[in-house]
Amino acid sequence: MKISVNTEIALTYLSARKKQTAVASLGVMFGISMFIFMQSLMKGTNDYFEKMSFNSTPHIRLYSENKVADTHMLTSYLTDPSVKILTNPKQLIQSQGLTNPYGIIKEIQRNQQIANVTPQVTADVIYTSGSVQINGNVAGVNIDQEDKMFDVQSNMLVGDLHDLNRVNNGLLIGKGVADKLSLHLGDNITVTSGTGSPTIMKVVGIFATTVKQIDDTKSYANIVQAQNLLGKDRSYVTDIKINLKDYNNAPQVAREIETLTGYKAEDWVKANEQLKAAFKIRAIILNSVIGVILLVAGFGIYNILNMTIYEKIKEIAILKAQGFSGPAVTSIFLQQAIYIGVMGGLVGITCGFGITYMVSRIYIGAGTLKYLPMSFYVPHYIEAICFGILTTIAAGFFPARKASKVDPVTIIRG
Amino acid sequence: MEVALKATGINKVFHDAADLQVLKNVSLEVKTGEFVSIVGKSGCGKSTLLYVLSTMDTDYEGSLELNEVKVTGKSLNELARIRNESIGFVFQFHYLLPDFTCLKNVMIPALRLGKLSYKEAEEKAYEKLKMFGVEDQALKKANKLSGGQQQRVAIARALINEPTIIMGDEPTGNLDSKNTGIVFDLFQKLTKEFGQTIITVTHDEDFAKRSDRIIEMADGEIRSHGH
Repeated sequence: MKISVNTEIALTYLSARKKQTAVASLGVMFGISMFIFMQSLMKGTNDYFEKMSFNSTPHIRLYSENKVADTHMLTSYLTDPSVKILTNPKQLIQSQGLTNPYGIIKEIQRNQQIANVTPQVTADVIYTSGSVQINGNVAGVNIDQEDKMFDVQSNMLVGDLHDLNRVNNGLLIGKGVADKLSLHLGDNITVTSGTGSPTIMKVVGIFATTVKQIDDTKSYANIVQAQNLLGKDRSYVTDIKINLKDYNNAPQVAREIETLTGYKAEDWVKANEQLKAAFKIRAIILNSVIGVILLVAGFGIYNILNMTIYEKIKEIAILKAQGFSGPAVTSIFLQQAIYIGVMGGLVGITCGFGITYMVSRIYIGAGTLKYLPMSFYVPHYIEAICFGILTTIAAGFFPARKASKVDPVTIIRG
Repeated sequence: MEVALKATGINKVFHDAADLQVLKNVSLEVKTGEFVSIVGKSGCGKSTLLYVLSTMDTDYEGSLELNEVKVTGKSLNELARIRNESIGFVFQFHYLLPDFTCLKNVMIPALRLGKLSYKEAEEKAYEKLKMFGVEDQALKKANKLSGGQQQRVAIARALINEPTIIMGDEPTGNLDSKNTGIVFDLFQKLTKEFGQTIITVTHDEDFAKRSDRIIEMADGEIRSHGH
């Protein structure tokens, strides 16, 4: 391969002072590997927390909400165009259930962005075993769909969740409930809701999420069982849970569904605002750390090139006397910066990958979290290389420009 | 005879503490193949004149023609190209690049010009080193040589692109009489055999006397053109 004379000079200068070159590259390498490590950690934990939140929250939850009384009724009664004023309006009790839920589900499923839709009946209940009573809630679900959407299986400690379909009056209870009532697989438990009659149910499984509050209160039953518990008919559904193909579209789809059905559609972003805030804060912290590291690396390169230029000022003058133009001199020094950047960058992404891999093998063992969640996301590596090279170019640009402006006459004449 | 260099009405002022006019309406003409020495006391402006003639110093009034092409007013990049192609420099100090071998030092201007392939440039550089009797030092780093050898390598470097004009700023100022003799003989050979033009600034009277023509300067003016 034919290399230009500028490149040859740049490479000779770099190899003539291997130590300095190595130190400058190390700075870049450190910056880049930290960049990759932190991005991987951030994305890994964010993905994990998102996934965790989707284990209990659907992308969109459709439910009926109590409304504040408005002048709607007055308007239909008093048809004249008078001004109606309602003083001290109160919340109106709506039926907790959705009207014609299966019709709504059919309607919603027409939307191309929807991946899964499942109805749910939520009932506040009291669990009784022996003389001990605790409060909780039963989610009446279609367990197969529930598992598909929220991966219930991964939380199961004992038992088989499909028994909800097979065992009459089967119930999956949280670990907290099981501990408090000292229940085991196959034991009976009395479940009482506010409106229905007490029902004896059979524990067919115990699950544990990472959220204690859920484990202490929640249980799953077949949707029909939950309707029976509440003494309601088969068309009684309190929530419709919707998962999308891409959860980032949730806010927009939620609005569409709200308009379509007239019920409240809450997307996961609203339901998990604190999660989003945490993501943002983490992003700011990590990005500023990365920024500082790259800045320091950049200053390292700037310093070393500046020193080189002071040392080489006579040589630069002589090159110019021999017919090297300003741009040629800029190219010589900018190339040095770029090679430092590329070298540091390549070693950096390798190190970054290594660190990320090693950290991803650190055992945590908290709840369902066994290992530190790290993501191996290719765009991070591309970004890192780009950032690294941009930093080195920015750091090399000013010394290189200074070198190109060296006036050979003043230097040679002394 | 063709005119290699023609300067007309060159004025130059240094704006340091007070304005000091170092060149006063200097005009001169050098023919192709001439060996010209510029002499004068320290501070008479002879080096300043040389740097103006070399195109490196562009801060002057007047006009300068090299090989019958006007160079005054050209951009810095164009001037760099002109220097690369048709001017060779020899300085009092060798100014070789210490990180490179002697051979590379000689090759660099040729590589910059880009008219020769790498291999051709290498051969030519070796040939030039041979001409100055330093071919056995070709692969040594430039800073491992003696002063005389370094200066000879530096002259070889100035000649690599076959420049029409060679300029020297005290080219023998740092050499012993033996090496001065070698350099002088080579310069003479270049003008006589290869038709190259040489303009040097020197303090060395013997050196000046043996050249074709002596231009004497004093107080920023040319006192004698030596015709």
